[in-house]
Amino acid sequence: MKNKEQNVWTGIEHLNPSPEFLENANQEFLHGQEEIPIPITEQSLSLSSNRRDFLKYLGFGIGAATIAASCEIPVKRALPYVTKPDTIVPGVANYYASSFVKGGDYCSILVKTREGRPIKIEGNSLSPVTKGGTNARTQASVLDLYDTNRYQTPKKVESGKVKEVKWADLDRDVMAKLNSATGIRILSNTILSPTAKKAIGEFTTKYPNAKWVSYDPVSASGLLDANLESFGDRVVPAYSFDKANVIVGFDCDFLGTWISPIEYAAQYATNRRVEDVKAAKMSRHYQVESHMSLTGSNADNRILVKPSEQGAAIAALYNAVASQLGSATISGPKLNDKASKAMAGVAKDLIANKGASLVVSGSNNKYEQILVNKINDLLGNYGATISFNNASLQRTGDDAALQQLVSEMNAGSVGVLIVIDANPVYDLPNGEQFKQAMAKVGLKVSTAAVPSETAVVCDYIAPANNYLESWADAEPKRGSYSLIQPTISPLFDTRQFEASLLVWAASPAYDTKAEQPYYEYLKSSWQSGMFGQQKAFSTFQSFWDSTLHDGILENPKSSNAGAFRGEVADFGSKLTQPSSSELEISFYETINVGDGSYATNPWLQELPDPVTRTVWGNYLAVPVGWKGEAKYDTFKGLKDGDLVDLEVNGKKLRVPVITQFGQMPGTLGLALGYGRTEASVTGKNVGVNSFNMASVVNGATAYSSDKVKVSGKVGTEKDFSCVQYHHTMGVTGTDNKTKQKINVDELAAVTLGAGYQGSIVPRTIIRKAHVSEVSKFAETLHEERLGHQALNAKTLYRKHDEKYKTGIHWGMHIDLNSCIGCGACSVACMSENNVPVVGKHEVHRHHEMSWLRIDRYFYGTLENPNTVYQPMMCQHCDNAPCENVCPVAATNHSMEGINQMTYNRCIGTRYCANNCPYKVRRFNWLDYTTADLFPSNEYSINNEKVRFGADNLTRMVLNPDVTVRTRGVIEKCSFCIQRVQEGKLTAKSENRQLRDGDVKSACMTACPTGAITFGNINDPESAVSKKNANSINYLVLEEVNVAPNVMYSAKIINSNESLDA
Amino acid sequence: MGHYVSPLRIPLIEGNKTYHDITNDICAPTERTPSALWVLGFAISVAFLALYVFIITWTIWKGIGSWNLNRTIGWGWDITNFVWWVGIGHAGTLISAILLLFRQRWRTGVNRAAEAMTIFAVICAGQFPIFHMGRVWLAFFVFPYPNTRGPLWLNFNSPLMWDVFALSTYFTVSLLFWYTGLVPDFATVRDRAKGLRWKIYNFLSFGWTGSAKHWQRWESLSLILAGLSTPLVLSVHTIVSFDFATSVIPGWHTTIFPPYFVAGAIFSGFAMVLTLMIIARKVLNLEQYITIEHIESMNKVILLTGSIVGVAYLTELFVAWYSGYIYEQFAFYNRVLGPYWWSYVGMMTCNVISPQFFWSKKIRRSIAWTFGLSIVVNIGMWFERFVIIATTLARDYLPSSWSYYTPSWVEVGMFLGSIGLFFTCFLIFTRVAPVVAIAEIKSILKVAGDQYIGPKAKKHDNH
Repeated sequence: MKNKEQNVWTGIEHLNPSPEFLENANQEFLHGQEEIPIPITEQSLSLSSNRRDFLKYLGFGIGAATIAASCEIPVKRALPYVTKPDTIVPGVANYYASSFVKGGDYCSILVKTREGRPIKIEGNSLSPVTKGGTNARTQASVLDLYDTNRYQTPKKVESGKVKEVKWADLDRDVMAKLNSATGIRILSNTILSPTAKKAIGEFTTKYPNAKWVSYDPVSASGLLDANLESFGDRVVPAYSFDKANVIVGFDCDFLGTWISPIEYAAQYATNRRVEDVKAAKMSRHYQVESHMSLTGSNADNRILVKPSEQGAAIAALYNAVASQLGSATISGPKLNDKASKAMAGVAKDLIANKGASLVVSGSNNKYEQILVNKINDLLGNYGATISFNNASLQRTGDDAALQQLVSEMNAGSVGVLIVIDANPVYDLPNGEQFKQAMAKVGLKVSTAAVPSETAVVCDYIAPANNYLESWADAEPKRGSYSLIQPTISPLFDTRQFEASLLVWAASPAYDTKAEQPYYEYLKSSWQSGMFGQQKAFSTFQSFWDSTLHDGILENPKSSNAGAFRGEVADFGSKLTQPSSSELEISFYETINVGDGSYATNPWLQELPDPVTRTVWGNYLAVPVGWKGEAKYDTFKGLKDGDLVDLEVNGKKLRVPVITQFGQMPGTLGLALGYGRTEASVTGKNVGVNSFNMASVVNGATAYSSDKVKVSGKVGTEKDFSCVQYHHTMGVTGTDNKTKQKINVDELAAVTLGAGYQGSIVPRTIIRKAHVSEVSKFAETLHEERLGHQALNAKTLYRKHDEKYKTGIHWGMHIDLNSCIGCGACSVACMSENNVPVVGKHEVHRHHEMSWLRIDRYFYGTLENPNTVYQPMMCQHCDNAPCENVCPVAATNHSMEGINQMTYNRCIGTRYCANNCPYKVRRFNWLDYTTADLFPSNEYSINNEKVRFGADNLTRMVLNPDVTVRTRGVIEKCSFCIQRVQEGKLTAKSENRQLRDGDVKSACMTACPTGAITFGNINDPESAVSKKNANSINYLVLEEVNVAPNVMYSAKIINSNESLDA
Repeated sequence: MGHYVSPLRIPLIEGNKTYHDITNDICAPTERTPSALWVLGFAISVAFLALYVFIITWTIWKGIGSWNLNRTIGWGWDITNFVWWVGIGHAGTLISAILLLFRQRWRTGVNRAAEAMTIFAVICAGQFPIFHMGRVWLAFFVFPYPNTRGPLWLNFNSPLMWDVFALSTYFTVSLLFWYTGLVPDFATVRDRAKGLRWKIYNFLSFGWTGSAKHWQRWESLSLILAGLSTPLVLSVHTIVSFDFATSVIPGWHTTIFPPYFVAGAIFSGFAMVLTLMIIARKVLNLEQYITIEHIESMNKVILLTGSIVGVAYLTELFVAWYSGYIYEQFAFYNRVLGPYWWSYVGMMTCNVISPQFFWSKKIRRSIAWTFGLSIVVNIGMWFERFVIIATTLARDYLPSSWSYYTPSWVEVGMFLGSIGLFFTCFLIFTRVAPVVAIAEIKSILKVAGDQYIGPKAKKHDNH
């Protein structure tokens, strides 16, 4: 510094400083104090504000605070329990064993409740019937509890006006009529509850002119009558699909909708898995049908016959079996050549597996069913794969009794009609007739819980509880009992129908003064009934507690059904006669809306039909062919979503079309259960009602017709909603010119020019093989995968994956052979993860939000393809392409290998969704969950007044452990992170290691066939690790090197190759 | 005049201009009342800008669901427009930076307007990544700002993140470069102005006096900014192309993208400069400064870059075939012959075939042809981005998820609105700032003025 001062000068003034310069040099501002920018005055130094300033600030402050405070901020109160119930720990779920029963549909379940409200249905693994499996309808049933459109009080209808009444008044009025009525009829669907049957018994005892009539909307009357005639027992026998090596289904959707699909699916899958490649063995499944059903899509061989040829097909099989076994043949109606040739092959297969085969038919023609019984009898299947011990009671309806009721009502001999939850006005082929007949009935009482076509024409509505609010029991199979217990107090002023009947019957055993009268009634019924039949428990209380805890009770009973009796020689003319009509139609039940009673459930409406992949409506399935051109050849040149005028039996409807692979040429298919006109608003006017197009033949309902006319295209469906536009993974056809088999899928994939071969089929999405060549396939697969892995091993980041090799690493295994495509997992996922429902219009725009979808591809021959279902959800890739593209790191990888989504951080660029090879990421395009600030944005799914998502009652179903996502963020499968977390916390609080099975994803627990396994893949002993060791496993798109954590095992089929030749 | 000018050089300034004439001619549009044509154009532009404001409000209020994007196609017109606008911007930077390095004197006639176009195009481009966000109110998450959440930083692996930096750098440098060039010209306008205009231009010119020191510093700053801009010409669109190139989607995941995008950007940028300049030189009477020579030079650039993108398109097809990778093969097969074939045909026709007309000198020098083709090229470049983005996404790995996409009125409105935003800015620019760089064009008068060189040149004493 010193040096500097001496030697460095910056101007001439420094060298020779003048006094003036020196004075200025030390001042920052040149010209003295008055130049300082801020004038210093007395006031500015004192810093005190004056009175006026104070008042100004005060005024502004109060004004601003007032304005800010007057903005309405919704107050949501969370009140603590004053007295905490013992069983409820906030944040901890309770599970109660119960049963899902709706008509004849049954599933043994566990109800998950949180803070006293049911939010999720799980399967009950103790049940020998459903074995812990569920289906889509069971999973969705919890939403029905919170249906805003439920009747909330008893009602009386007077000259078209609906009035609220008190239960006491209703009971008084109804009982007055009952006492004076001449004919009293109780009409219901199948009732599984032995105690309810007892209550009906008390009712009919009290009113001797009362009779109970039951029917099933999709009837099994023919089967029941056949068994009565053949065996003297009007039941559905117990089938063992697991013991059958050859299964033949005649238009029988036993995996999807027929009698007891959960039970059958579980049995079926046990014999379809290929776990040991060296000794690969599986059952063979033939399906004989015209429309591709869920079951048919799983079959190894589909044999196409027209609906009117079903009888002929059964007769042809009977003749083939009988002639080979040396029994008498019958003169059956003529079957198409291809099918009758195939039947010979089927018969050969069946005879080779005598005693280990099974033939089932969905026909409602008694004689056809007797012929099927005869076939099974010839094959020695009774006692082997079919048993009358433990027979199913899941369908007991009687079509003839119902038609008798209609004539009685028309004759005016019915004074009181009590309709228990049934909806005949809607779901009968002659529903309109039934409605007119009802007008002649003196008093009509309905116990419907939600509005229905039948309830609205009744005089009184005595609304029943939801099953989650009721005490009840069920006997789905003889000797297999289960209990239903309430998991919430009735939300509204409703009463279960059994209680209503007992009140009206003035039953002495029913103590109306008791706190829970029906509970007492049920208990005493069990004490006098089931308790006496068992020996395990000595006191009733311990018996009751144990049964209630388990939810089920097994009291095996043997049947008194005899051996097959009866003659079939003259059946030729009694079977359905093949029609010469060029066009036929069949009506079928779908897995989601069923007979229409499920149509009010938005989760089921939004669940894509597994075969057509359509939602929110039914579509006329028309066949697809190929004439050697670059385009598919569809029926009348129709395209998906075209509207046509359909006329069946003189009844007309305008329906949208879906082109359907596997639909037999000359036939059409249309789903039942849609087009409800009086229902909860979310299910109203969705699709068209085809029940009234079915017909009554010889007293039984026939679900097909040959009197069909279809117009050409008359318009386009406004919101045609199909979640999958491309349906095939390489269907083949024979080229007219070259006579070579070519891939029509690839040919038709582009718009311009002739097809290019080899771009779709070799994709590593679906792996499939025939069971006879599994070992060879496994080797080829292994080699191919080694090639991919060798390329993938070339990395710059060698140690990147090492961190995943210690501790827990979550993974999943999906067995494509076990998966039947039923959609239970999809609904379970919606329920578990609060996945929003978006409605038809949004699905039409491909805005569906499903985290777990089931991709469906057709492959094989074009005319009659095979099907593979592939559950597809986030693959939780260890090299996730979504993670590195998010600008704000909203999606990232956990140390346990889970691809996590941080909703709060997401800004919605959708880059991750674009970069996902599996296209599993879902964006909240609109305010589906009504989380927005603006009520104008609340989203309506089917013109409902209170928006579905905004409805406080509906919102009670939300899982409190899962964030409800807001508009503008991406969401996707989280591997049920909340369950992972819960499992880890439980293990931690119990001071132990996490065990295999501690964490099960919602899709895994929902699956009826055990196709999904979730667990720790770092644990070599875990179930998932063991399944991952199967040599037919593969990763989807392995060569992309995203390192997915979901492994699939290949689809193996056991088709009879000689059949196609 | 220090150095020799080839007698073959064609004059770049016509009409025997003096320095004073140049000042008069170029300042004139800022000084007179606007023409009816300008007013009409401005009214239309503002109408579209109003539409834009409405569309943005609608999008934010309703959500991205008011667009027709879907689970398969997450980007459509939004990112197509983003890339299109960014591309357009490139010409300005190229003209001011790269052509400066290559000593292309003709750039002085068009650089000012081209740079203005760059800035406005980048403003338009920036709209789309912002408003395509599902939660635009959280857009600030993309900036690395200090926070209490950890702190939670950005994902520096994400190409979108790189875009944020690439675009903001590009915009900042371009703006500075443009404004720096404007300072002496604003001073020129100020010196001719009175009253309020004087005050405004005095403020805008930062007290420019034209002293030697000012000029020296101005030259230095311009050089530094030119140096900064040069790599940006290449980097910005390279980074934009990384949005696609670094993905795993067949049709996006290609290493050819950076050069192909840059060439395409220059291609479309020059086309847009031509569209604007052809109108501006007519409306603003600048035909003697923006001459047929300029137009021809730019047409040559268009011919070159158009051919480069053409080669790139064919290379892509070849590589898809040669790769033996079925997903890549299908992606390109689908691109050409799939449901969006019409956009591929549009792209090929507009981008590869239409510029080939410029091999003909007559067409290169025809204003009508140039104007028409410049618009065709911009349509083609829009198609190119649409083909890359929507067509690719519509059909990727899993056939089950294939979908189709057509824009909703909101998306179309947003595109039209952004054009309104662009022209509103540009028309204001033509009224308030000299559209040709006065100082720079004066610097070439003696080497490119027709009174000094060319056939009509007079002999000058100082030669």
